[in-house]
Amino acid sequence: MSCGNPHATACTEVIASISAYIDGEVTAEEYHVITVHLHECPPCGHEEQAHRAVKGLVIRAIGRTQAPTSLHARVRATFRSIEGQ
Amino acid sequence: MSADLESPEAGDGAADPPPVTDAELASIFESEALAYLDQLYGTALRMTRNQADAEDLVQETYTKAFAAFRSFKQGTNLRAWLFRILRNTYINSYRKAQRQPYSTSADELSDTQLLDVDSRAPGGARSAEIEALERLGDPVITEAMNSLPEDFRTAVYLADVEGFSYKEIAEIMETPVGTVMSRVHRGRKTLRSLLAGYGSTDAVGGEQ
Repeated sequence: MSCGNPHATACTEVIASISAYIDGEVTAEEYHVITVHLHECPPCGHEEQAHRAVKGLVIRAIGRTQAPTSLHARVRATFRSIEGQ
Repeated sequence: MSADLESPEAGDGAADPPPVTDAELASIFESEALAYLDQLYGTALRMTRNQADAEDLVQETYTKAFAAFRSFKQGTNLRAWLFRILRNTYINSYRKAQRQPYSTSADELSDTQLLDVDSRAPGGARSAEIEALERLGDPVITEAMNSLPEDFRTAVYLADVEGFSYKEIAEIMETPVGTVMSRVHRGRKTLRSLLAGYGSTDAVGGEQ
């Protein structure tokens, strides 16, 4: 489970934080520690790239959706009728 | 006489905003809350996986939100507030009714129950996996997303597509930030193993 080299931070800790790291949800200090680790540990670097790829695929494939015009009209109509009460 | 605007005792009650009339409240709601309809619909579609249910869910969300709008603290996060109502409405009205394969919360799944790809392949195999992932067609990715437990699917969607912070997602899903982190992480991990399966069965174009 490791590249065999000693690291200041255990691989398991880095992997557990990898999504938070990608999403910008770690502290500046954690960011630095993880970045250093990723540079010196190819297997963890691969984990990071795979998670980034998955995030990118979700954005590409799903992305934002437009609601049907009929729904916009329906919500407005309901709103107006409630408002008018 | 110096104006002490900070003190609530200052002046003749000018620190309190004047009461908002129903008409004003309705006008604020119409101009601010209705602007999030497309985003709420996209999220509803991801939750219900069904267009008709998603439309009804959004409609119901707006009805509830308008009824509760007086209790919304103006100036706080309206978008997250609306998404929280959407999610609660989904849980209360739809999740129970939908025949879902996941009756328990995904958080109860242990890591060993989640498929694990051989993610620690060294060197050359790494870029091969990522290249294979990136060749997958959109329908395959949507299908994989739809097969995730709802807790994971919603957390991943809110983070990746809507760009909410974990703190906001925690507010929307009414769960601690640590749980959000775990849901996003395990959601992506599960997606990755599902997609690795698609890749190896030669579904590269996304269409069978």
